[in-house]
Amino acid sequence: MQSLIFFVFAGFFACRQSTETTGVSIHWRDQRATGISIPQNRIASFSPDSISQLLTVRLAKTGAQPAILGEYQLADNAIIFEPLIPFTRGLRYEVWLRNQRLDGFEIPLADPKDAPELLAVYPSPDSLPDNLLKIYLRFSRPMREGQSQKYVALLKNRTDTVPGVFLDLQPELWNPDRTMLTLWLDPGRIKRDLQPNKRLGVPLQKSVHYQLVVSNSWPDQQGTKLTKAFTKSFVTIPRDSLSPDPSRWQITPPAADGNQPVDIAFGEPLDYSLLTETLHIIGEDGKSLPGEWRIGDEEKTAHFKPAQNWKPGRYTLRIEARLEDLAGNNLNRPFDRDLTQKTVPVTSASFFERSFRIDQPSRQ
Amino acid sequence: MKKMYFLLAIGFAGIVLLATTTRTKKPYGLTVGTPEIKSINALTFSPNGILFVGDAKSGSIFAIDTKDAEVTGQAAPVEIKNVDQKIAALLGTEVQNITIQDIAVNPVSKKTYIAVQHSDGTPVLLRVEGDKIMPVSTKNVEFSSLALNNLPSADAKDRRGESIRVSAISDMGFADGRVLVSGLSGQEFNSTFRSIPFPFTDKQDQASLEIYHAAHGKYETLSPIKTFTTAEIKGKKYLVASYTCTPLVLFPMDELKAGNHVKGRTVAEMGSGNSPLDIVTMKKGDDSFLVMANSSRPVFKVKYKNIEVYQGALTTPVEESFATAGVQFVSLPVTNVIQLDKLDDTRMVMLQRRSNGNLDLWTSSDRYL
Repeated sequence: MQSLIFFVFAGFFACRQSTETTGVSIHWRDQRATGISIPQNRIASFSPDSISQLLTVRLAKTGAQPAILGEYQLADNAIIFEPLIPFTRGLRYEVWLRNQRLDGFEIPLADPKDAPELLAVYPSPDSLPDNLLKIYLRFSRPMREGQSQKYVALLKNRTDTVPGVFLDLQPELWNPDRTMLTLWLDPGRIKRDLQPNKRLGVPLQKSVHYQLVVSNSWPDQQGTKLTKAFTKSFVTIPRDSLSPDPSRWQITPPAADGNQPVDIAFGEPLDYSLLTETLHIIGEDGKSLPGEWRIGDEEKTAHFKPAQNWKPGRYTLRIEARLEDLAGNNLNRPFDRDLTQKTVPVTSASFFERSFRIDQPSRQ
Repeated sequence: MKKMYFLLAIGFAGIVLLATTTRTKKPYGLTVGTPEIKSINALTFSPNGILFVGDAKSGSIFAIDTKDAEVTGQAAPVEIKNVDQKIAALLGTEVQNITIQDIAVNPVSKKTYIAVQHSDGTPVLLRVEGDKIMPVSTKNVEFSSLALNNLPSADAKDRRGESIRVSAISDMGFADGRVLVSGLSGQEFNSTFRSIPFPFTDKQDQASLEIYHAAHGKYETLSPIKTFTTAEIKGKKYLVASYTCTPLVLFPMDELKAGNHVKGRTVAEMGSGNSPLDIVTMKKGDDSFLVMANSSRPVFKVKYKNIEVYQGALTTPVEESFATAGVQFVSLPVTNVIQLDKLDDTRMVMLQRRSNGNLDLWTSSDRYL
């Protein structure tokens, strides 16, 4: 509604102006310039049908510029042009009628106070296995895709950039909002006995200090750069080749006199992103309990707070088998399995379960 | 539940609307409308020119009749220099704000389709017409769509209420009346591969497979498929897949059934620090070839005959050549090819970053085979 008022006002204002640089008003949606209105009185002598052939919007640049692809519509004394993609912030455009320049307009840069921030890097511990597989970057705003190789670097002992440590994957792995990116350390080098692994070894070396550095030149979708650079320091510990074992997790249930969380301690850090999806608490009726999961410090614990108060009884913690640790070992199988060693069992369960009791609080 | 009623109401309204607007039944179960495409990760065509759009953002595959069905026998070679700059100007922006996501050649009209993504995520579909680049409208077209199953429900959200599910469609193909889709997840490190019958049906009888490979017969591992093609080797049909850890692996097509855990045969490794980008199967005379574009290697060419005679399945490392192993392959004198599709049996359309930095769309001649 606000934009409509603005639009009407802009149209009114435009009508009162008589010459050259007036008239064109920009349509905004979600901070994107999705179209323009050109008052029809500027092009009065043409029939509506021929307008889209005669009227063009072009980039204001030297050299011949093609007409921008988009759609023209007639509405209330104005011609609306919507390009296939929104107009770009910081660029100038021109409206042409046949070979005569009618008007020009500029799309303002985004407000610097809307600059994106890097909120978190996962895994969060400062000791990580040397066969670490994934790193997640979490931003406050949708970021520009396809650019991570330019802006993310890994430094060894604060000095040398480690080349080729991240897999150059196109398309990059973003969530639908483009606020979370998964980076893979080159899996061909982590997998034992593949040629890259045999020739170059794992991407990270044992007992070495590393720094993950994210440059502040990384722009978001509006072209605004990160407010500041980000550094995460960590040291590597020996490789983790074992699947997480839920039978060794510690479950600490609360008493049944409220909705205090049940605490689960894994004894090792697990994959942040998978933790948010793969844990479920099931009641005696076999139904999943509504409530909220919180991932604890260093992704070594998780805490479930039910939406309603606990009732005394038996509950089940159901863990989907796709849950992984930091080295890509899931509950069914390790990241790579040595076939000559028969001692490592492989299962194909879709989930694992642990049960626990919630008891009435003891009365004093 | 309310949401359910709402959806039903919309569905019903849709049916009524469609019933009034589409009187004739379209082939392949397509109906007229505007598909809500949120992203274009991958493009492919059926042999009779139906375009398939892989949309990871909405977790769907769209089948679209582009009406671009004029049979072209001898295809004219495609040649557009600085194609990214030309597309950027047509879209009214600068080259750093767009990415070419995929190219695909319509096998009927032999026209090249280009999927472009703006930096804010807006997808654009374009088509090359001679030396011109034209938009392909997806408004009021004949289409059908299929939601990829096994995607987590929308409530898989974090505490800020945002979906953190990270996924992409890494490649898409069409063989024997089925759409083949390989997916990448940013979470689990495995391979999802779907085989979906076309025309799409109401019931989701797509096969979702977990397929893994055994390196040198010693280590067995899951990994995501980056790109694939299909080929016939000794009269049997195979899926030829390249993984993110760059082995080239064969899977018999008849084993790719729902519920099966399929183990592939590794026939070659393609070296380190590399990500396979595109694979096509080409033919010249009696020989057929696998041609593969790579992120940091030249374009590879492998004779399928060599794969036929190669029985090793990498049980023991083969003599090393350029840090690769397995079936012998030839490096073509073409580097930095980002996208690849076949124009006809012997010629390929390539999107290549030239040594002078230009991004050109051009057509290879049959001497590359």
